[in-house]
Amino acid sequence: MIPAWILDIFAAIMLVVAAVSAARLIAARPWQQRTRRAALADIDVAHLLMAIAMAGMLAASLQTLPNGAWSVIFAVMTAWFGYRVVRDAQVSGVRALAGGHCAPHLIHAAAMLYMFVAFTAPAAHGSGGMGGMAAGMTGMGTLQLPLLAFLFALALIGYSVWDLDQLSGPGASGHYSLATARVAPAGPVLAGVGATAAGIGAPAGPGAAAVSPAASATMTAEPVAEPAGVTQVPSASAPADGTGVLAPWVATSCRIAMGITMALMLLVMI
Amino acid sequence: MSEIAAAGVRPARRTGLGAGAAVSRGVPDIRRRLQLGLAGIWLLDALLQYQSFMFSKAFSQMIGGTAAGNPGVVASPITWDATLVAHHAVLLNSVFATIQLLIGIGIAWRPTVRLALAASIAWALGVWWFGEGLGMVLTSSASPVNGAPGAVVIYALLAVLLWPADRAGEPAPFTAARAVGAPAARALWLVLWLSLAYFALLPGNRAPQALNGMIAGMESGEPGWLAALDRDAASLVAHQGLAASIVLAIALVIIAVGVYLPPPAARGTLVLAIVVAAVIWVFGEAFGMILAGGATDPNSGLLLILLALAYWPVRAAVRAPAGTAPAVADTAPARAEEGTTAS
Repeated sequence: MIPAWILDIFAAIMLVVAAVSAARLIAARPWQQRTRRAALADIDVAHLLMAIAMAGMLAASLQTLPNGAWSVIFAVMTAWFGYRVVRDAQVSGVRALAGGHCAPHLIHAAAMLYMFVAFTAPAAHGSGGMGGMAAGMTGMGTLQLPLLAFLFALALIGYSVWDLDQLSGPGASGHYSLATARVAPAGPVLAGVGATAAGIGAPAGPGAAAVSPAASATMTAEPVAEPAGVTQVPSASAPADGTGVLAPWVATSCRIAMGITMALMLLVMI
Repeated sequence: MSEIAAAGVRPARRTGLGAGAAVSRGVPDIRRRLQLGLAGIWLLDALLQYQSFMFSKAFSQMIGGTAAGNPGVVASPITWDATLVAHHAVLLNSVFATIQLLIGIGIAWRPTVRLALAASIAWALGVWWFGEGLGMVLTSSASPVNGAPGAVVIYALLAVLLWPADRAGEPAPFTAARAVGAPAARALWLVLWLSLAYFALLPGNRAPQALNGMIAGMESGEPGWLAALDRDAASLVAHQGLAASIVLAIALVIIAVGVYLPPPAARGTLVLAIVVAAVIWVFGEAFGMILAGGATDPNSGLLLILLALAYWPVRAAVRAPAGTAPAVADTAPARAEEGTTAS
């Protein structure tokens, strides 16, 4: 059996992720303004719910909702991010499916749904409530279709590794670079070239290979038209987006923590 | 209309890679991608180490089992290690898993890639001896089909070949040659694959039912579809041990010398290497027995595939005008991005 204190550590990390995600939601106030941040609130909501659910799966004392309720929540979440990925794919092509902004969240949500649906509780723990899930973590329950668990774990590890690389790499790419852009005069070469706010960086995700920023529009933000002859330059001193708890790296760090923890849970329950 | 001109908002100091790093986007070059693949496998390895099985007595018994057949000087430390793990299973396995987790994260985190790769070499060599009995290469039971010469030694080999440094001189013909040079990289490849061919021809492996027994032995605990695959594969080589070993050895020798061939032929042999490694991983190793639970690592097949990709011939870089990215970033990738230095 896995020692409970190890699972408690991962559960504590998930509680931190939940707290940070809640703080991001409160700070962003998506219900007050229709901004790009507001459009991305679903990600913080997803992080919050996933982190709470995972904490309950890792430590029985942190259980909140019954498995059935979580299954419904993650089914809805999977459908939502599936819709977002399809919509991204319509904008930026198949690349969105491989490494777009929403694809990692789709995998996360689908993996959570899978865990709740496929979990087979040990007989001694009844019909698989959250207590049963926590028992599954200690090696007393298994997941049906273990190949699916393995594939989900591989995908989650892949996204986590990619996120770590991008987070520590030079510059930022894709959805990491959401900071408010300041407007600066553009050189003649760039004048008249169309782009969207979404095209700040390269596509994120395993397998993403292109270097064309304009081709990597994977965000859901609406295209922002700028006057001709200006260049958007992300500003390190941008006042609102990308600072404090709303900094893009905070959300990415949450996603890395959840991805690794989720992969651990999947592999342990095979 | 506008163009997004700057790369991102994160200051260069966070990367620890110097000012030159700030101009490049986050799209990694081929070597960095392979490093990320290695990081992913280390992470997978670490998470497998957290499985319930690893905290039980069975883990120490598994370690102790690798002493069998090894010379005394090799076996004694393994036995000592197994005893130690048996007495402190929770503590030591937690440490083992966490070290591997940190190695995986460290390789993926650019500022710590060198430290993590160096640590991975030391760790892998230690595990190779104390945990895998030197991959059983000193016994008569080593076989390329069951993971010889030990998956963990391939981690160390990959760490050396993917070290973030570039030798001065001509552009490397493949990624693995960038750090150690083409002659050394080719020699390492040759030794590895020739040793696999040698193991395939050991008397214990060319016996009529040897391969059959090895593959059939992987069925236990596997999902039905994988067990069925193993059964079919085992029946295919039933009483064909000698012929199968010879065919496998010939394929391994071709792969071994393939890196000395011109690029088109080399690519062909590398494809063969990937196919052979995949066949070994699926049929001989049953995905490292991960689906059966209790696997300590994904075994050698996956790592051999990653290794083969590191030897894939690369195109010459197209030098771009100053201030722009190269059109093809292969043999001369964005070295500033990795903070590499000529050696």
